[in-house]
Amino acid sequence: MMNLRNASRIGGVVATGAIAALLITGCTREGDGDAGPAEASPGITDTTLSLGISSPLSGPTAGPGSCTVAGLYTYLEAGNAAGGFEFGDGNTRTVELTYLDDVYDPAKAVSNFRQLVDDGIFAYVGALGTPTNAAILPIANEDEIPQVLLVTGATMFSSDQETNPWTFGLLPTYYSEGFAFGELLAERGEVTVAVLSQNDDYGDDYVAGFEAAIEGTDVEVVASATYEPTDPTLDGQVTELAASGADALLSAVSVTPLQVGVLTKAQSLGWLPEIFLPSNTSTPATVVIPGNGAAYPAVYTTSLSKVPVSPTFAEDEDVIAFNEAFAEYGAEIAPTYTPHCAWSYAEGAILEQAFLGMTEPTRDSFMEALHSIEDFQAPLLLDGITVNTTDPTLPAIQGLNLVQFNGTGYGPVQ
Amino acid sequence: MEYFIQLVIEGLATGSIYGALALAIVLVNRATGLINFAQGGMAVLSTFVAYALFDAGAPLALAILGAIVFAFALGAVLERVIVRPFERGDPDTAVVVTIGLFVLLGGVAAFFFGYEPRQFPSFFGLETLNIAGVFVSLRSIGTIVVLALVVVLLQVLFRGTKLGLAMRAVADNPVSASLSGLPVSWLLMIGWGLASVLGVIAGVLVAPQLFVSPGMLDFVLVYALAAAILGGLDSPQGAVIAAWFIGVIENLAGAYIDIVGNDLKIAVPFVVMIIILIVRPQGLFGRKVVVRV
Repeated sequence: MMNLRNASRIGGVVATGAIAALLITGCTREGDGDAGPAEASPGITDTTLSLGISSPLSGPTAGPGSCTVAGLYTYLEAGNAAGGFEFGDGNTRTVELTYLDDVYDPAKAVSNFRQLVDDGIFAYVGALGTPTNAAILPIANEDEIPQVLLVTGATMFSSDQETNPWTFGLLPTYYSEGFAFGELLAERGEVTVAVLSQNDDYGDDYVAGFEAAIEGTDVEVVASATYEPTDPTLDGQVTELAASGADALLSAVSVTPLQVGVLTKAQSLGWLPEIFLPSNTSTPATVVIPGNGAAYPAVYTTSLSKVPVSPTFAEDEDVIAFNEAFAEYGAEIAPTYTPHCAWSYAEGAILEQAFLGMTEPTRDSFMEALHSIEDFQAPLLLDGITVNTTDPTLPAIQGLNLVQFNGTGYGPVQ
Repeated sequence: MEYFIQLVIEGLATGSIYGALALAIVLVNRATGLINFAQGGMAVLSTFVAYALFDAGAPLALAILGAIVFAFALGAVLERVIVRPFERGDPDTAVVVTIGLFVLLGGVAAFFFGYEPRQFPSFFGLETLNIAGVFVSLRSIGTIVVLALVVVLLQVLFRGTKLGLAMRAVADNPVSASLSGLPVSWLLMIGWGLASVLGVIAGVLVAPQLFVSPGMLDFVLVYALAAAILGGLDSPQGAVIAAWFIGVIENLAGAYIDIVGNDLKIAVPFVVMIIILIVRPQGLFGRKVVVRV
């Protein structure tokens, strides 16, 4: 009994001491800062930060969707394994990524987003998809939760920062891709063009960019057709367009089998225009080679990242680091490579830059830091394509290179 | 004129895709009296088997043959194990069960093969013939020929063989068929097996164009059902002709009627279909169901 009583007395002393110590530290801290430290936002402690993402991991868009998770996961896990990420407030944190499957369904994406927020994520990052992110956008901005570095080329995610200050895109817009194509043709002089586009924002952005670039030039759109992503084949559209005999075809098609169908159909009709493919359906192994793109005088697309699976980049330091880390962390999530794996890996590095600039453990501080990155050469981005986030109305990556198919992969425009 | 013919040819080729699956729907309907949504799922799963065999190094013909055997077994087993308990009950319940199966089979295919669309080689090669300025691909010709052959074979089966007669009897009135000594349960299994085989033939015919993926037939199934209903649910040639009709009308309306364009072209065959069905509820080639009182 005595012993116990002693023990409890000792305990009391320890407790009192601890409280005193807390009071003292409390006082000192308060004396340090001007306004005191900001209260930490949800999802961040002194040692951890939790992020969330919802992308299509099943369904027809599973390939690109899985890659948006796998590349980011790879970058973050490799960083965690190397000791964690340094933050601007002097702490080093491990960054956890929770990922959910939305099957490219906006309703599912919204419920995933709510679940992630309930589970206490600090920020929602890198999600793929225009319709899915568009559904989340009003909620994220209402609740002031960062919805950033989104893997979509739609202009809407960065353009209106007044209304949507918490939303921010990653990739060059479809508008800029279309514009780049138009510029290339405008240099040529008189060219006739056929345009095939998806009947939604994706297709409209492409066509708008293209038309803006050719306005007042000798480039003329002589035929155009649209399609629904659910159409089983585009043979009818291609036949219509082929009748125009245009010199070039802008094929703003986002569905892989349909894009292959366009390439095989046009040549089978004896129509061999120069082809312009969007960056997300131009992968050599899955689109251009199956569609026998070599039959055309030229196949162009835009590119912003090094291709880890291509021999051209086999000696590249970024690529070697990526391939090693990806085999360890990302390969399980995304068995097939699409460029989204490289983009989301680069996105991890952009996040790291933002962490470095974060002086307080708050979402406000994160957004400020994220919008203060200048001329950052993120890993896997092509030389000369840098990250600039100081104009929040433009996506984080704005530059893109035009490239031309060379029989096996893409090289410089001839 | 060449442009017109070209559009018609493209319409026939696209229609053949719908027709292939519509035929399978008609077969199940004739053999079991049901509309079977699981048809799409069975076709996809079996097409994946063809893909897997080919991928493992089997020659294309052998891979397709293997898939056909698999498909027959799959159809028969599904009928015996899952659908059987519902056959005697309300037909609506059975139809809902087949919808469930459709989703389930797609999930099974996704579990084993994932969602990434995979390429599948064409049995007919990729060449295109130029006939007086009109381009026709060997693949389209092949698809059309195979469809025509299947229609003929089905007619022979149902009209000219005892098996076909027995299957029709079972679909028409299982109780009487059973009383007259027909092995009803075996016949139903065979009916499902054959329908599943037709499904995989459809799958293999369209796979080079649509790629193999769990959702490859989702939208085709809608067109196929429309074709089957327009043609008359019990008429194989009706289903194929209706499918061609849908493909051709869709293309022509999209190209020639300005206000229709590409946005509305899908609606045109369905509007035509509704009008036809108002006039002829049994479909273009269907037999009127007469109930003797």
